[in-house]
Amino acid sequence: MAADIGTGLIAIGAGLAVGLTGLGAGMAEKDVGAAAVGAITEDQTLFGKAMIFMVLPETIVIFGLVIAIMAIFVM
Amino acid sequence: MSLPESMSRIVIVGTKSRMDEAIEAFYSVKALHLIDHTTGADGLSIGTPKASNSKASERLLKVKAMEKELGINKHTDSAKVTIEDVKSQISSDGVENIEGEILSVLDKRNDLNQRITELNSKKKNLELLVAIPVELELYSGYKSITSIVGSISEDPTEALKAVANSESFISYKKKEGGVVAVFVKSTDRDAVAAILADYGFVEISVPEGTGSVADNLHITEESIAALTAQLESVEKEIEVLRIKHKTFLRATDEQLSIEIEKGEVPLRIAVSDYSYMLDAWVPTKKVEFVKTELESKLGNDVYVEFEETRGRNLHEEEEAEERFKTVPTKQNNGAITKEFEYARSLVSIPKYQEIDPAVLIMIFLPLFFGFMIGDCGYAIPFIILGAYGLKVTHHKDWRAIATVLFFGGIWSFVFGFFFFGEALGMHFITGPEVILVNAGGTSVTWEYLLGVHFPDWFSGILPYGHGIGKLDQVSMLLKLSVYVGIVHLLIGYVCGFINKRTQHNTKVAFFEKGGWIISFIGMVIFCYALTQVMISKQDFSGITLNLFIIGLILLIVGIIVNWKTEKAQAIMELPGIVGNILSYTRLAAIGMSKAGMALAFNYIVFGMIIPYTAAGPDWSAIAFVILGILMFAFLHLVIWTLGILSAGLHALRLQYVELMTKFFDGNGVLFNPLKVKREKTISVNKEITNKEV
Repeated sequence: MAADIGTGLIAIGAGLAVGLTGLGAGMAEKDVGAAAVGAITEDQTLFGKAMIFMVLPETIVIFGLVIAIMAIFVM
Repeated sequence: MSLPESMSRIVIVGTKSRMDEAIEAFYSVKALHLIDHTTGADGLSIGTPKASNSKASERLLKVKAMEKELGINKHTDSAKVTIEDVKSQISSDGVENIEGEILSVLDKRNDLNQRITELNSKKKNLELLVAIPVELELYSGYKSITSIVGSISEDPTEALKAVANSESFISYKKKEGGVVAVFVKSTDRDAVAAILADYGFVEISVPEGTGSVADNLHITEESIAALTAQLESVEKEIEVLRIKHKTFLRATDEQLSIEIEKGEVPLRIAVSDYSYMLDAWVPTKKVEFVKTELESKLGNDVYVEFEETRGRNLHEEEEAEERFKTVPTKQNNGAITKEFEYARSLVSIPKYQEIDPAVLIMIFLPLFFGFMIGDCGYAIPFIILGAYGLKVTHHKDWRAIATVLFFGGIWSFVFGFFFFGEALGMHFITGPEVILVNAGGTSVTWEYLLGVHFPDWFSGILPYGHGIGKLDQVSMLLKLSVYVGIVHLLIGYVCGFINKRTQHNTKVAFFEKGGWIISFIGMVIFCYALTQVMISKQDFSGITLNLFIIGLILLIVGIIVNWKTEKAQAIMELPGIVGNILSYTRLAAIGMSKAGMALAFNYIVFGMIIPYTAAGPDWSAIAFVILGILMFAFLHLVIWTLGILSAGLHALRLQYVELMTKFFDGNGVLFNPLKVKREKTISVNKEITNKEV
């Protein structure tokens, strides 16, 4: 597979965008998740609310995904 | 759309002398959701439990205790008994009679257990002392000498030499520790104990007795064996009792629980000196039935009055008296949707005035699951497992999972066959651009494996002639996921609009949810135009420019409409729309991740383990083929198992987070009519049991 350095750098950039934002989202969700599981154990009816808070940090990784898509298709 | 069933409120008044009969009648109609009476305004207080309740509670307590001791629980298999039998047995002191029998055996068991425990601790001490050549009676009985006996973890020989006028016996092994017995003057006792403390000394009490330790140990062991034999025979007796009484105990447990529950109904209703009165919610279509049924059973001693049929508009709720505000939710779903109620109820119970999302979950959950799996090979086990689960299991958690697996499996088969054209990560048809393993590539197809050529009509029905490649047509799959997401989200927004419209009116709905629909459509068009320019590199003119402008206008209109209810949130939430839409790319991404794993695993098996020739795989190398097939089965099982988790959870999450937050409030109260569930006790005359509403 022959590809120039520029393509490679774009691929690395896209990978970093998704990977690092993934890490960020993971770190944020770690705390929320632990608290959410604790809360649900206390009160089952909190599941819905806990679920919403749990996925809030996912926005970060979606921004990463947007950047990655832009890096690959736009640049 | 699927709103919960319409509810009406009725008042039932009757004479107190026939209250017990009336309670039986309330239970038999199975449609009365009692509204608890609160003592207050009308001056009526709540009633008192039925007189027989305290006796029944006492008996139930005994039954539960016996069940626990005998190891009988709700999973115990026992025969069914008629209600009349159980009742007559209970009233003729059946519980008290077997209690004596069971307790005496249980006491025997506890007594034996205790004695065995005591002997075991004695045996343990004797086993330690066996290493010391002192007979048991010599340890005690002195006037001025005392003995200190115990286990040690280090050897204290040197230290003990310093103690004058003492005699010590030490048995010590380096790794196992040891035992020490020191005879000293009673006055020196504390000093010796202090020395020994440094060597991990733990004092043991010397068992009483005479003769050598070994003999005593032998006697103790014999008595333990004898007692254990006795215990075994007692256990057998208990087992016999368990089998003998399990049916009676289970049936009595159920009957007494039901009696107590019924006996406590007066606590929830208003009772005066000569009459009782209660309010209840009844499904609207059942009101007439309840009325005629109660009147036919109780004649002139009951009066049923219809109060209101509650509409869905929230102002009706606001005007109602406090305890009549909340209407219970009786879900109005078909047989299949019912199985998805569980998934929905994890979040919350819908309110009386809102759409039950279970219908949407029923449609989209299996669809998304199937799309993410998208493979005939994995679909078939899913369908089989799901169908089997639905057939055998009655537990609602497992049923919910089995339903998703079954319908998801069917969708997965449909997508796998007609869209992706693949099974176990391999396309059926060898496409023109595919480089097979025997040509130095990494791909494997079924045509290559089986050495056949599928008929042309088959490749004719597949997209591109060989199906969509999950790892080839990535951008197409991503786009498709986004479009699916737009439709899904739009349904969510529209449901939100309908909810607000039923709860208030069109104007409120427009300002609360209509603005979001406009913003959403605007955002979609705006982003579409943007991607056309930035990604597809089209000129910023003509249709694209028009779309861009239309999108922008809709966005602004949406914000203006929203401003009234949401203020600054109307702008801050806009990126959230993009986030929500892009969240659906997981549909493609999870399919891709499985395809990637399958590609690698198939290459390992067919490119590295099983040898191949230019014509195809070489099946003659038996050992490699067997190894290859075993690996193949194991590796695909891994993907399959991961598929349940990742596809299932992500499909569910899209419903919970993306769809349901758009319209679902929850916090409803489940319709819980007065009824009893009999499992172990049956009525002699089965016809009288009413069908559950």
